[in-house]
Amino acid sequence: MRMQFNIYRYDPESGKPPCMQAYELDFDPRGRKVLDVLMALKEVDETLAFRRSCREGVCGSDGVNVNGRNVLACITPLEGLRQPITVRPLPRLPVIRDLIVDMSQFFQHYRAVKPYLINLDPEPESERLQSPAERAELDGLWECILCACCTTSCPSFWWNPERFLGPSALMQGYRFIADSRDQAADERLDYLEDPYRLFRCHGIMNCVEYCPKGLNPTAAIGKIKSLLVKRAL
Amino acid sequence: MRKVGGAHRGVDMWLVQRASAVYMACFIPAFLVLAWGRMPLDYAAWRGLFAPLAMKLAMLLFVFSLLVHAWVGLREIFIDYLHVLVLRLGLYFAFWTMYAACLAWTVDILWGMH
Repeated sequence: MRMQFNIYRYDPESGKPPCMQAYELDFDPRGRKVLDVLMALKEVDETLAFRRSCREGVCGSDGVNVNGRNVLACITPLEGLRQPITVRPLPRLPVIRDLIVDMSQFFQHYRAVKPYLINLDPEPESERLQSPAERAELDGLWECILCACCTTSCPSFWWNPERFLGPSALMQGYRFIADSRDQAADERLDYLEDPYRLFRCHGIMNCVEYCPKGLNPTAAIGKIKSLLVKRAL
Repeated sequence: MRKVGGAHRGVDMWLVQRASAVYMACFIPAFLVLAWGRMPLDYAAWRGLFAPLAMKLAMLLFVFSLLVHAWVGLREIFIDYLHVLVLRLGLYFAFWTMYAACLAWTVDILWGMH
């Protein structure tokens, strides 16, 4: 089947402005994903640059914008996509080249929420135990693969990318606030109680719409707000 | 200066916006029911509706909630889109003045009826 594509191209070394490049390719879309076709296009045009690694929706490295939606190229079926299929880099992050974006800002926000267990008790012999209910609190949070599909689809992040942490980092922040083994919940909430870091979230819910893992960052952000209210009252 | 703490204001504004919304959501239907009970609403009926002190206070609180709610919403818009500090501050003061005037005007209307 003859398929048509429009791919965002940018090579900073060429000195030319970014542009959309049209491609046509004989490709059978049945059972194939967007990443398959990107790899096939790279066979034709080896200057095309994009990130990919696990090709099964686990590593989170091939987040791209396909026909206006942020998706993981490796798990997005080609069938059903309107042609020409338009592939752009994730919105609002600086483009390094073609579909490769600079994730520094995204990971800076991730680091800011201290995404690790803070527990000053002496380390136990084997492990820090949790009850099944305490462990269940973390479901729907730990599965985040940091692909940035949610954060880069969030208008609040578009307007204040330096100061609003974004849905992914906030959900990771809550993942450790909710962890029964963590002892720094207050310190974490102190950091988040700010008009920018957390409260730029207006519940637009693009993050929920676009999360390729089916997670709900808006709910996690809501739980942080509830905790802040409980703490304040 | 790289690790400054949170401004500790977000949650207050967030709560104020929700509390004012709840009050308005309760007041508006109650007011409509009361007004409906005095139909036809001619000038005398309208004056009678606002004669009790409780009604005056409830209406004043409604206008205050409306202004506070609008203020928090505007502040959100300014923070999102208006990144020039001087302009933002100027607009903060302009809207504060306008909203304060609206509140004073409401008091004048409610307690100045003859």
